[in-house]
Amino acid sequence: MSSTRALSVIVPAHNSSATLPRALTAILASELPRDGYELIVVDDASSDGSAEIAARYADTVVRLTGRVSGPAYARNRGAELAQGEILAFVDPDAMVRADTLPRMLAMMSDNHGLAAVSASHDQSAPTRNLVSQYWNLLLHFGDQRQAGSSGNVASPCAATRRLVFLSVGMYDEWRFGTTALEGIELGKRLEDSGCVVKSNKDLAIAGLRRWNLRSLCREVWTRSALLARSLGYQQTRAAVPNEVVFTLSRSLAPVFALTCLVAVSAASLPRPDMLVAVAIALFGAIALNLPALVFFAKARGIIFAIAVAPLHLLVQALSSLGLCAGWILRDAVGDRAPDAAIQAYAEVGVETWPPVPRATGG
Amino acid sequence: MIVPAGKEDGASTELVKHGAAPYRAPRVALIVVLPENHVVSADRLAESLRAHGGRNIDVVVACAGQPTNLAALQQSVGDAQFILAPAGTTVEDLRELAMRQVPGDIVTLVSGAPVSASGADSELFMSS
Repeated sequence: MSSTRALSVIVPAHNSSATLPRALTAILASELPRDGYELIVVDDASSDGSAEIAARYADTVVRLTGRVSGPAYARNRGAELAQGEILAFVDPDAMVRADTLPRMLAMMSDNHGLAAVSASHDQSAPTRNLVSQYWNLLLHFGDQRQAGSSGNVASPCAATRRLVFLSVGMYDEWRFGTTALEGIELGKRLEDSGCVVKSNKDLAIAGLRRWNLRSLCREVWTRSALLARSLGYQQTRAAVPNEVVFTLSRSLAPVFALTCLVAVSAASLPRPDMLVAVAIALFGAIALNLPALVFFAKARGIIFAIAVAPLHLLVQALSSLGLCAGWILRDAVGDRAPDAAIQAYAEVGVETWPPVPRATGG
Repeated sequence: MIVPAGKEDGASTELVKHGAAPYRAPRVALIVVLPENHVVSADRLAESLRAHGGRNIDVVVACAGQPTNLAALQQSVGDAQFILAPAGTTVEDLRELAMRQVPGDIVTLVSGAPVSASGADSELFMSS
C-alpha cells in the first residue's frame, strides 16, 4: 500500500466465487496505471473460498470471520484501511468497463465540490437467462430515465471522497446489515450535509449476478419492504427516483398488476364471465407499463418483451405487497434495530475484531 | 471480557449471555510473491511493512523455484515463513496458495518484479 495513490477500489464479497474473478479482472483492466490505485477485497465470512480467489488479484484482502455482516459493514472495514483520496466501491457481481473508474476519478478531480458519483447499469447481458436479462434491463431502464437527477450512491459502482465519507460516518452498517439500500441512505446523508452527489448514466457497469425467479422475488420483496420501513417511501422517491422500487411502482401500475394476477387466477376457475375482467386488468397493466415494455422490445425484440411481461407484472405486484408490508411494520413496530448482543456491545463499548456494527444513519 | 467499571448492567449481562470475547487486535500478514526470475527490492518491502505502522506482521514469502539471497531477506524481515512451490507456478497460483496458508485478518500481497525490469542495486531477494 502506498500513501501516494489517488484511488482505493474496495470490493465487499460474500460467497462470490462465481462472479468475483470477472469483477476483479475487469477492475484490473481499467485504463489506470496499476500503481495508481489499490485494490482491497473484504471477504465477509465466505465459505466458498472467495478470500483465496480475491488474493489472486488484490493488493489487500481483509478476512472477516464469524457471522455475515453485510456489504455496508464490509465496505466500511475496507475504507478504514484505504489510503486513496477517492474511494470506489464496486460490488463483487458488477463488471466495470475499462473507462468507468478513470472517468469517475477524473470527474472527482475536476469538480472538487462533487462528494460522490455513481455509475449506472448498462443493458448488456453477461448472463443469458431470461430473469437476469429482465432485471438488468429494468435497472438500466430506471437509471436512464432518472440518472443525474438524484443523490444515489446505491449503484454497484460508486465513488466518494474518503474524508467526506469518514466525516459523515460511513455506511450505516447497523440498520443495513444484510440487505441493500445502504447506498441510498448514505446518499441522503451526504446531501443532508450539503454535499453534491451525482449519478451518471454514461458511467456504465454490467451486472454479473445470475438471477432466478426465487432470488429475484426475494430481492424485490426485501428491497421494497425495507425501503418503506426504514427509509420512508415519499422522501426517498423525491431523493432517488431511479431506485428500481420506484420504477416498479410508478402511477397505478402495481394496482393493475395485482388485479391482473388475481383476475388471471380467478379465470382458471370455470367462470367464463371472468374473461372480461381479465381483459380489462391486462389492458390496464400493459398500458401503464407501456414505456418499460417498449424499452424491452427495443433492447431485445418484441418476443423478449412479450416473454418478460408476465414476470414484470409478478415483480410489480410483489414490490407493491412488499411496500405495504414495510409501511405496516413501520407503523406497528418501527424501524429495524440490531439484535440484543450488538446493542449491548455498543452500549458497553467493548471492542472486538471484527468490530461491532455501528449506527450512523438517521 | 473487559467491562468498564460502573457499567455492570443489563447490557453486560447480555454480553455474558452471548459469550463476548476479549478484544484482540486484527492479525496482519504480508505475503511476498515471487514467481520464477522475479525480485523484490528492499525499498518495496520496507514500504509495505511501514504501511502497517507498528503492528506485528507475519511475513510470508511464496516462491516458485529455488530461492536465492535467503540470508539477505532473513536479515531484513526476521522470522519470515517460506512457502516453496514448484518452478513454473504462476503468480496468481502463488498468491492463492499463500493465502490458504496464512491466518491473517488483514493480508497484504506484494508481487515481485521481473529481474529484467528491476534495478540491480535494490535487489534483495529473488527466485530462480
